[in-house]
Amino acid sequence: MLSVLIWLPVVGAALLGFWPGTLPAPRARWGALAIAATTFLWTILLLSQFDLTQPGLQMQEYLPWIPTLGLNYTLGVDGLSLPLVFLCNLVTLIVIFAGVSGVAGLDNDAVTKRARLFFILTLLANAGITGALLSQNLLLFLIFYELELIPFYLLIVIWGGNRREYAGMKFLIYTAVSGIIILAAFLAIALLGDFRSFDFSDISTGGFSQRTQLILLTMLLVGFGIKIPLVPLHSWLPDAYVEASTPVAILLGGALAKLGTYGLVRFCLGFFPETWKLIAPGLSILAAVCVIYGAMAAIAQKDIKRMVAYSSIGHMGYVLLGTVALTPLALVGAVAQMVSHGLILALLFYLVGVIEAKVGTRELDVLNGLLNPLRGLPATSALLILGGMASAGIPGLVGFIAEFLVFQGSFAIFPIPTLLSVIASGLTAVYFVILINRTCFGKLDNYTAYYPRVTRIEQVPALVLVAIIFFLGVQPSWLVRWSEPTSTALVAAVPSGAPTLSQLPPAKAPSLL
Amino acid sequence: MTATSSKPFYRIPRRVPGSQFPVSEIYKPSPTPQPANILPPSRHPYADIVHRLEAGGGLLPDSPENLMRVIGMYKAYAVPMDFYWRDLLYLGERVFIDPLPFFKYFPTQEYFDLPNHYAGDNADYRIWRGWEKAHPELMEFIEKGETGKLPRLFHHLWHDRINMEFSEDLARSMMWHRMSGPLEAFLDSEEYITNANRAIEAYLLSNPLYAPLIVLHKAFPQMFLEQARMATYMSILGLFWEIMAPVFFEISDLYDEGKIQTIPDAINFLVNGIFIAAGRPIYHHVYIKGKCYEIIPKSKGFMWLYEAALPYVEAVFYRTSPFRGTKSYNAEAGEVPEKQEDFHYGILYADKFPVGTAGIPPTLLHQDMSHFLPQYLREHLLRNCRGEGDLLVQVGISFQRSMYTVTSAVIQALRAALLYPLDDPNPKHLVANRAFFEGQLNRFLRPQYGINEASRILNVQTTTYK
Repeated sequence: MLSVLIWLPVVGAALLGFWPGTLPAPRARWGALAIAATTFLWTILLLSQFDLTQPGLQMQEYLPWIPTLGLNYTLGVDGLSLPLVFLCNLVTLIVIFAGVSGVAGLDNDAVTKRARLFFILTLLANAGITGALLSQNLLLFLIFYELELIPFYLLIVIWGGNRREYAGMKFLIYTAVSGIIILAAFLAIALLGDFRSFDFSDISTGGFSQRTQLILLTMLLVGFGIKIPLVPLHSWLPDAYVEASTPVAILLGGALAKLGTYGLVRFCLGFFPETWKLIAPGLSILAAVCVIYGAMAAIAQKDIKRMVAYSSIGHMGYVLLGTVALTPLALVGAVAQMVSHGLILALLFYLVGVIEAKVGTRELDVLNGLLNPLRGLPATSALLILGGMASAGIPGLVGFIAEFLVFQGSFAIFPIPTLLSVIASGLTAVYFVILINRTCFGKLDNYTAYYPRVTRIEQVPALVLVAIIFFLGVQPSWLVRWSEPTSTALVAAVPSGAPTLSQLPPAKAPSLL
Repeated sequence: MTATSSKPFYRIPRRVPGSQFPVSEIYKPSPTPQPANILPPSRHPYADIVHRLEAGGGLLPDSPENLMRVIGMYKAYAVPMDFYWRDLLYLGERVFIDPLPFFKYFPTQEYFDLPNHYAGDNADYRIWRGWEKAHPELMEFIEKGETGKLPRLFHHLWHDRINMEFSEDLARSMMWHRMSGPLEAFLDSEEYITNANRAIEAYLLSNPLYAPLIVLHKAFPQMFLEQARMATYMSILGLFWEIMAPVFFEISDLYDEGKIQTIPDAINFLVNGIFIAAGRPIYHHVYIKGKCYEIIPKSKGFMWLYEAALPYVEAVFYRTSPFRGTKSYNAEAGEVPEKQEDFHYGILYADKFPVGTAGIPPTLLHQDMSHFLPQYLREHLLRNCRGEGDLLVQVGISFQRSMYTVTSAVIQALRAALLYPLDDPNPKHLVANRAFFEGQLNRFLRPQYGINEASRILNVQTTTYK
């Protein structure tokens, strides 16, 4: 069941790559789309098979691979990884659809000429992310985690903007360092304990001294913190997001960044619950810093893509806040925030890409009046307003659900960082209003505003994303039902006697089902 | 006339041109006079345009594409205009001061059959060779609209109709700017008030439902009187368009026949049309129960050129009122001028890009015109920009070009009436002509309230503005 999700894209990529003779670009596109669509349908099937009452792993697959290394092909899915797998496959489908219809910032010539390579890399990236999310073995996880590097580096460097080489190299180095640190931490875990294999189920860090745990946790935190990214480690992100073409940026922000937050919950919290609890107060401050920094930096930007990139940093702060609060509610909120941020970021990047492709600029000072119904990009602008509102946490859209769950779950534990985050969420509204005001409102310039129309097919991805964002905003049980048992179990694994749980009888998991 | 003059341009000592041009059924293009080339080049910022005007041209460069757009828009404008003038006369003459004019956009069949005085076999002056009743394309649209054959009320409720509100808006604009030449003073005279009151009383008493309102009329005598003035303006605008519609129909036919080949040809035709119609009477008759009340009798001698055409150009082409969607009426912001002379929201200054947006009145007109585009223009516009997607904006910009041409014709007609021929050998006369042209262009250069930036005269010089 799970292997299909990983291997279908790989086989698809291989088919596209090794197709005898020349494969015409249109056929390659439709082939890639068919593979992505099948993978997505398979994800839907997975969702329907998922048992909501069970907190542990489901649909496990086990295949001994290199026993001497402790590397087994162990897969499994639980409430933490399932929503992210769904998100990743949805985003991939959208990216490939965008590539097929030839829109959204991708230079049409480049895609036509190298469509095959683009789709192969996208499919491989998808396989890597899904693999990492489904792995239940440390080394296997790391293999997939590192596998991401190559396709994403190429995707940035080949199809990116003017400074793509700088951005690509920066991304490569940061992410490689992240991988090395995580590898070191994993190896250290294995060396210090004497485990049969690297399978998660075999590993328990309970016997380590607190100092060891602290060191290992810090290493993991830095490793995943680069990927998320958390504030002092974030400086690759604006460059990579801005220089990457639209589909790549969507894939980067919507799917790849989620690997970092996934690692945060799965490894940092899952493996070192006691120590995590110890450093949680410090991390809560870091979370507030992230949120405020992201918002402030976004307010200062003049480039809409950069604004959205910084908004991404801010929104990752909520995930950290939800994770450190260690209440079931906050953790559900953190997972919900991962999904909601993935959806919203994908939507915003897509729309910004459409605007850039049609208008030819991303400058706030040049853009104007795009809401004009005949000469502007009215549907795109309307969706941009909706996406901005979703990002800023307006009720009725998915962003509010996630943020509110996080705030509600963490306020009793860390009131000050929570309040700071609430303020920063107000600042989010500030820069999105700035963005929307300068971009959508105002009037068109009579000398330049002869923009091509946005075709219907180009609007499809954004419409689908908005539909999901709106649906999950008014029917949030579909967002949280998947991860509730798992997060409750994860929090319950934090050693009892912990004051947080006993103090919090009201903050139980929402009975939204 | 200086750059800062705030007087409307036509308040100049008058020499009535009368019918100094022979009335011919079919227009014969006169050769464009060549300038004597005696004067040194103009040093005006728009010197190119000044030279073009001196050569008999217009504000718009002469090119086949411009001509096609201009003439095509005349045709597309003329058909709704044929409805406007009929319904405006209906409003002025039949609806008059109706307090509850629910069906004011439903003129009776009589008004569709009303013979235009300037078209058909029995015309006073035969401008258009076609027929005198409502245009066939208009009748077809009234009957079928965009949706299909339905009762007219359903068409109305489904908004499948001619946007008559636009023409009412223009009449209101003329009234508020008090634009109507010498007639303006007459509206406040005892004679007008007496005539109007007689009609108002007759009108109210003619309907048992409205009869009690006579008390209201006695208590507030200004109330219905002002409504009567509004009805007068409706009539004036209707009478103005009664002439413009056949002029535009005929120019379109001539273009189709290949008899109009350049923009100067078109301007010549329009100038002739203006002179032919200049002396036509302007009046306001109200029909109540089959009886005619002459509020402004024809015998007062008010004329088309001075009471309708020139005030219309001033009120509609130059001034109108600020669009609610582009200007703030906030008194503190000071965006809207204090003096009406500084109003610059007419077609010559209008930003056409936001057509189709909320708060942009000309959208109504452009929607009307889009139903009646001639095939050649429709095909041309569909090939440009977004085709069907931004058709209304393209229609608006083409319309702006065509109205710059009409303005050119008005300027040339005024020059012909008040000043000297273009091929006058006397340099002093040419200097006077040049001063007049430059004075007209200065209206587009005034810096107050950003009038110079709002003017689209530089845009229409280019081919990229579409």
